[in-house]
Amino acid sequence: MECHDARSLIQSYLDGELSQAQAAPLRTHLLDCQPCRAGAQDEKNLKRWFAAPAATAVPEGFAARVARAAVQGESLPRRGTLTPLAGGAAAGATGAVAVERREASLLRFVLACTAAAALLLFTLALGIRTLSLPQTNQLAADDRAEVQLERTLEDLDQLNRTEAAAGAQKRP
Amino acid sequence: MEQTAPDDDRLVAESLQGSQIAFQLLVERYQDRIFRLIRGYVREPAEIEDLAQETFLKTYKRLESFQHQSSFYTWIYRIAINTVLDHIKRRGRSPVQAVEDLEVLPVNPGQRLPAPAANLEREEISAITQSVLEEIPEIFRTVLILREFEELAYQDIADMLGISIGTVESRLFRARARFKEKLLQKHPEFGAEL
Repeated sequence: MECHDARSLIQSYLDGELSQAQAAPLRTHLLDCQPCRAGAQDEKNLKRWFAAPAATAVPEGFAARVARAAVQGESLPRRGTLTPLAGGAAAGATGAVAVERREASLLRFVLACTAAAALLLFTLALGIRTLSLPQTNQLAADDRAEVQLERTLEDLDQLNRTEAAAGAQKRP
Repeated sequence: MEQTAPDDDRLVAESLQGSQIAFQLLVERYQDRIFRLIRGYVREPAEIEDLAQETFLKTYKRLESFQHQSSFYTWIYRIAINTVLDHIKRRGRSPVQAVEDLEVLPVNPGQRLPAPAANLEREEISAITQSVLEEIPEIFRTVLILREFEELAYQDIADMLGISIGTVESRLFRARARFKEKLLQKHPEFGAEL
């Protein structure tokens, strides 16, 4: 193995990403090549600077609170560290799940109501049409309108007569 | 007879059917890892909790879009990383909107970085690491956190970030070079002459 190839593999080797077949020739090379060995040692030294920070304890009941908020759309108390936008987004995330589900069920309800209303209207229209059809096969006009008109004309005549009589009495 | 814990896919399916218990089990399963991951980016416990909470709420909201092509933990990590990076950007604490270097910067050519001295406590090393990480561009910081703190395989990192393994390798290489350069810049006392 050449130094150039060895150098390109050192990082993956130290990260445990090489197979046995890839690692074996590199190990042999490192035993023989002091500069590459020094390079590998530098990489190892660097890796020792990556000390993970101490773990942050998960607060008691965190999972239950979050699951309840997510599933039931409840709002969660915030620790006030997020920017207003983030807080809004997070609260929105909580509310949005519930809102979306509520909207979905509301939409289903509205669609069902619309379908029922359409069916009712159709039935009513059918009923009205059936009732408005002649009940017999005789063509007979409805005379109620005529009676109404005659009565109105009589009432007007009566009014005219009364007005004329009243006018005659006033004249000297 | 010993009961086996339900796998992630089953818990996801039950959560989608509205099971609060199933989603709670998922949160319990991943909460430690998500808190630890976020801790790599921010220090305040209250901030970590808020961001973890936001991560899980987003996860629930997006459950229907989980395609099962990657593992659930890869998917939830990705949501957590995006949530934290959005937060950092909004706060204006993002160091640099990094473009990947085409060439690796020469790292203080006259200086080597030995391993931390034996008299340094782990907490001290960790505080130094954290302060250096905060000053390097987020694409480099993220691969370092995922590899060095979370000890994830290249393939998992690639899946999480939606990049190839080759890109993970080259990004890690540059990230380590940046880290070393920044550490020596901030703390020249830790360097050693060649």
